[in-house]
Amino acid sequence: MAKPNRSGARPKPRRPVAKAVAGGRSPALIATFVAVGVLAVAIIGYAIYAVTRGDGGQPAGTNIAGLTNYRASDPKMLTRNHVRGAVAYPVSPPVGGDHNPIWQDCIGDVYPAAIANENAVHSLEHGAVWITYRPDLPADQIETLAGKVRGTPYLFMSPFPGLDRPISLQAWGYQLKLDTATDPRVDQFIKDFRIKAAPEPGAPCSNGVTATGTTPHNTPGG
Amino acid sequence: MIDPPTGGPAARTGRRAYLLGGLAAVVALAVGVAIGLLVPSSRPGDGSAEAGFARDMQTHHAQAVEMSMIAYRRSADPEIQTIGLDVALTQQAQIGTMRDWLDQWQLPPTGSRPAMAWMPGHTLTADGRMPGMASRQELDRLRAATGRDLDILYSQMMIRHHLGGIMMAEEVLRRSDRAEVRSVAESMKASQQNEITAFMAVLARNGAKPS
Repeated sequence: MAKPNRSGARPKPRRPVAKAVAGGRSPALIATFVAVGVLAVAIIGYAIYAVTRGDGGQPAGTNIAGLTNYRASDPKMLTRNHVRGAVAYPVSPPVGGDHNPIWQDCIGDVYPAAIANENAVHSLEHGAVWITYRPDLPADQIETLAGKVRGTPYLFMSPFPGLDRPISLQAWGYQLKLDTATDPRVDQFIKDFRIKAAPEPGAPCSNGVTATGTTPHNTPGG
Repeated sequence: MIDPPTGGPAARTGRRAYLLGGLAAVVALAVGVAIGLLVPSSRPGDGSAEAGFARDMQTHHAQAVEMSMIAYRRSADPEIQTIGLDVALTQQAQIGTMRDWLDQWQLPPTGSRPAMAWMPGHTLTADGRMPGMASRQELDRLRAATGRDLDILYSQMMIRHHLGGIMMAEEVLRRSDRAEVRSVAESMKASQQNEITAFMAVLARNGAKPS
């Protein structure tokens, strides 16, 4: 019990600091401490979230308008076995699944005729984006697409007879069908998936099959 | 009144003050760390010379790998087989390094600007090739060549290719002060210069000249 001071009034007992902080004298002080505490927790919490979330295994771009995300809707389709001979792909053009042991050359190749699905799917596994177009696409649009592909590894393009839209872009597990080569989503798809969509990163695009023809090729080159 | 030395209300007050002070310090530290993690440290931007080099050199290297694997597989000359293997494996590994830089810098492998935009004054060839790169026709010739012709063609194409690669490395050395980029660019320059010397010797041995 505190001694009375000179004026005779007994000074208030010194309260523990904890009480002053938690429930003490001034509502403004409490509010300040609470606000600072909430802000601190929010910053720390967000930093932990941002640093630990990673990619979740998906490249960016899964929100491009019109994209079909087969990794989400049909992941069981995306098997990766090497097989010889023809493969019946459920999606056309295919976006993944079993494929030929040899990939289609995808180091900026612009093919003048249809190529084998089974070789092309292997190229998707290596991270290439495969641009396909209906053969009746106007020549200037074909050239627009070719200008993007030529000389750029992990891009290749070929005509695809029977395509149900003028243009279809494929990456491993992703497809985007479009009507014109000047659609900005072409560049967006390439930016989001070229190389990034590879389930097998680091694999090359050179020294693959350079021949055209839809029967799968079992040796590289032409 | 004499305060008890330990355990009394005044001592508990003191301990609580220290605890709260300590807690406040830890929270302040955590907030500081969090802010440090959130604020982007100096990472090269999408249009930077470093990003341009990382992207374009991957393309450039990919062709050296392509040509070297052809030579490695088809040459009968042990020296060419060895150089082919060396170039292919080394440059493929460097492709991986550059790919990883872009990931660390949180940049996509494909930039928004055309190839070589980061090298003002330099342009692609008319058919879109970077310095020293071979055309598809030249690659077809390489694929079809055998024996001495293959060795000569490969050496000639690689000398031109390396000269282009050295120029790109020098360009990024002029423009970047990032330690990891400079170190790899210096290393590329040095090994490609050595390889040019080796290719010149192969040409001389075969009675041929650079093209």
